[in-house]
Amino acid sequence: MAKVDRVATNLPDLASRSSAQGNNLSAAILPAQPLIKIRVRKSWSSIELREIWDHRELLYYLVWRDIKVRYKQTILGASWIILQPLLMTLVFAVFLGEIAQVPSQGVPYVLFLFSGLLPWTFFLNAVSGSSYSLVINAPLITRVYFPRSLVPLAATLVRLSDFIVASAVLVILMVYYHQFFNWTIVIAPFLIVQLTLLAVGLGMWFSALNAKYRDISTALPVLLQLWMFTSPVVYPASLVPERWKLVYELNPLVGIIDGFRSSLLGLEFNWRSLFISVVVSLVLIVHSTYAFKRLDEEFADVV
Amino acid sequence: MRPIVSVRSLSKRYYVGRPRNNSPTLRDAVIEAINSPFANLRNHRNGVVPLWALKDVSFDVAPGEVVGIIGRNGAGKSTLLKILARIVKPTAGEVDIYGRVGSLLGVGTGFHPDLTGRENIFLNGTILGMKAPEIKRKFDEIVAFAEVGQFLDTAVKHYSSGMYLRLAFAIAAHLEPEVLLLDEVLAVGDKPFQEKCLEKMKSVSRDGRTVFFVSHNLKHIEELCRRVFFINGGVLYEECDANATITKYLKDISPQEERVASAP
Repeated sequence: MAKVDRVATNLPDLASRSSAQGNNLSAAILPAQPLIKIRVRKSWSSIELREIWDHRELLYYLVWRDIKVRYKQTILGASWIILQPLLMTLVFAVFLGEIAQVPSQGVPYVLFLFSGLLPWTFFLNAVSGSSYSLVINAPLITRVYFPRSLVPLAATLVRLSDFIVASAVLVILMVYYHQFFNWTIVIAPFLIVQLTLLAVGLGMWFSALNAKYRDISTALPVLLQLWMFTSPVVYPASLVPERWKLVYELNPLVGIIDGFRSSLLGLEFNWRSLFISVVVSLVLIVHSTYAFKRLDEEFADVV
Repeated sequence: MRPIVSVRSLSKRYYVGRPRNNSPTLRDAVIEAINSPFANLRNHRNGVVPLWALKDVSFDVAPGEVVGIIGRNGAGKSTLLKILARIVKPTAGEVDIYGRVGSLLGVGTGFHPDLTGRENIFLNGTILGMKAPEIKRKFDEIVAFAEVGQFLDTAVKHYSSGMYLRLAFAIAAHLEPEVLLLDEVLAVGDKPFQEKCLEKMKSVSRDGRTVFFVSHNLKHIEELCRRVFFINGGVLYEECDANATITKYLKDISPQEERVASAP
């Protein structure tokens, strides 16, 4: 139950003083307030934005490292960013679009599918990537101090960069299918922000749980698979029977993915599911950051 | 003189698992699992005993002091450093530190085997708390110190272990926090490189940096440290001067060594 906080003061850069001064680092140079206070108490804030900001350079390097390292020793390299959603689109387009004839709200199924797979692939990779992140970075966590939330945050940002690159494919598909760009496209970035925050939150929660109970890494793929089929990724939300609609919309991805698709393809918005999605996302994000914080107290002991 | 590090009544408790022997065979384990499927969840804390890695430790350290920390394996030396480094949180007590802290609790922390030496200098430097301009400024110095010049653009997984350790230490040696925490770092590399590290450490302490230095090498401790803490079973002892503390430590470990030596 310890809390470690960092007191923001204008730290005089003692180290940069020339060594010629020798041992003359007298008490006069010491700041009046301690720079680091280590205390045993609980704090109410769940996430230290200030600390994350102070460590933004490290965050940058963590993201940079993961992007740089990921495609080493691969033949196709960074083209996997585009190939992964494309191959999934191909599979689903053949089996669901051609063979099962799943309806697609009047737009070409491939376009319908890709606009759902794009945000879903980001969410899937971000959540599963960050859930392993603390365990993978255990050597770091047990040897240096930095805000632990940087680790799952970096894992999510890596996937966000993938998402942005793969979005180019969507634009190409839209041009190919002569899909008009609608004004509603301005809503899409907000949904992506919501999706990113949700992914960061859940990623933090799962990563913390996974650091303590490795069961999570086994259970998570199943959960995510289930989550995909309870979200309107490969089929339209309109296929869900009316009496199940409200329960269905409790899944925050329903509002986000359905909304993302509608904003791009100019389909009708389901404002109720969007609203529910925002509320549920907020609850999940707040809960997850608190859960992370609580488990954060013991990471170095259990990881 | 005001202390730069002030530690008051610091304690750290760990829970250590006791070997459970309820289900010696797989069959018994299965039966037990069927009889009480949630035993693992329920008896989460049963089967564990508390262990105090640190007990009510208090001290003040003035700026520029180089403090050696000695003690047997598992005495609590590393726990103390980890708490000062904010890696592990204390169970009780307070610490105030009036300066930035750099910790070197393992060599090559955050090195990525697939990245080149050059890339790892930036990554590792940032992880250890340096800012990019600072790393750029010291880059040549680090490379020269590590003697890895021609392999700068080779992935570090192809380095010899000596080169790897030299590069890791070189980056860490160019950290400039006011308080430096070192755990056994001199145990790297061959003899000439160890000498070089020792020289570097001496110059670091001459700069007025405050250093905490955990080592089993009493020769290094004697050479570098003006103060020595002896930790035994989580309790910190400090005699009137460094030599007296080292003597106490030697006295404390010697009977056990005799016992071990006389064992058949």
